[in-house]
Amino acid sequence: MDTLREELKKHIIEELNLEDLQVSDIDDDALLFSDEGIGLDSIDALELIVLMEKYYGIQVTNPGEGKVAFLSINSMADYIEKRRA
Amino acid sequence: MSFITAYCHLNENSCSVNGKIFLQKSLESTESWFKQLYKELGVDYPKFYKMDSLAQAGFLASELIKKIIPAISDTYKDDQIALLFANKESSADTDIRFLESYEEKKTPSPSLFVYTLPNIVLGEIAIRNKWYGENMFAVLPKFAPDFFVQYGTILLSTGSKAVLAGWLGILEGRVEVFVFLVEKESSTGIPFDNENVKKYAGF
Repeated sequence: MDTLREELKKHIIEELNLEDLQVSDIDDDALLFSDEGIGLDSIDALELIVLMEKYYGIQVTNPGEGKVAFLSINSMADYIEKRRA
Repeated sequence: MSFITAYCHLNENSCSVNGKIFLQKSLESTESWFKQLYKELGVDYPKFYKMDSLAQAGFLASELIKKIIPAISDTYKDDQIALLFANKESSADTDIRFLESYEEKKTPSPSLFVYTLPNIVLGEIAIRNKWYGENMFAVLPKFAPDFFVQYGTILLSTGSKAVLAGWLGILEGRVEVFVFLVEKESSTGIPFDNENVKKYAGF
């Protein structure tokens, strides 16, 4: 599995207290904020913003940008990789 | 006369229901005591893991009461069950953890911040059960039976048919929880008065 994507899933599970989930339970393209995905809520969205800065040094200051970036694990990984390049 | 029809106690190592031990903490388990109790209850409610200790305590106690009186949600309309809770620590347990999150870890935690008010436990119980009645969380100098009896009696005479009440003493590992259900139209149980609330609380 892609290291960044696996790492993201581990961080999300730990920081958002998703104790009943394993890394293997989160599909790379699952919609994070959908009930069909992992059903995150608005507080989780704030935690993701904190996670981005804490682990990747990325400040998400534009709400519109965040909305797109946090759609799925894939979109989060793409967002991080673009800012690393 | 209203009656206490069910009650439970939680402390750091055990949980009892109507005076009988329901579960004791397993020392071999690596899981926290509240997680052990959550799993023993067999409840499927993943949001439990996101709650702070105060909310978990209130949630677990309310689930224990529902275990004793399974028909509670069917017996009453969604606005007929009042929630009446108190403690002396407010949300200090989580306040301290939130302070640490930004002072020591330099990353303030939004998911901790939302629990830095003690009445959030009422919201968690209400959301879980879809109970939309009166609710109040008081911060008192010490456990006060007359607070529960006086305020509970007012609630029962102004529209509530039942009151889920309790003391949720949670601070840095200390657990001192007594939760009880008062029903207005019950004909059996423990009379809801100061003497009995004090006696059955056991504090």
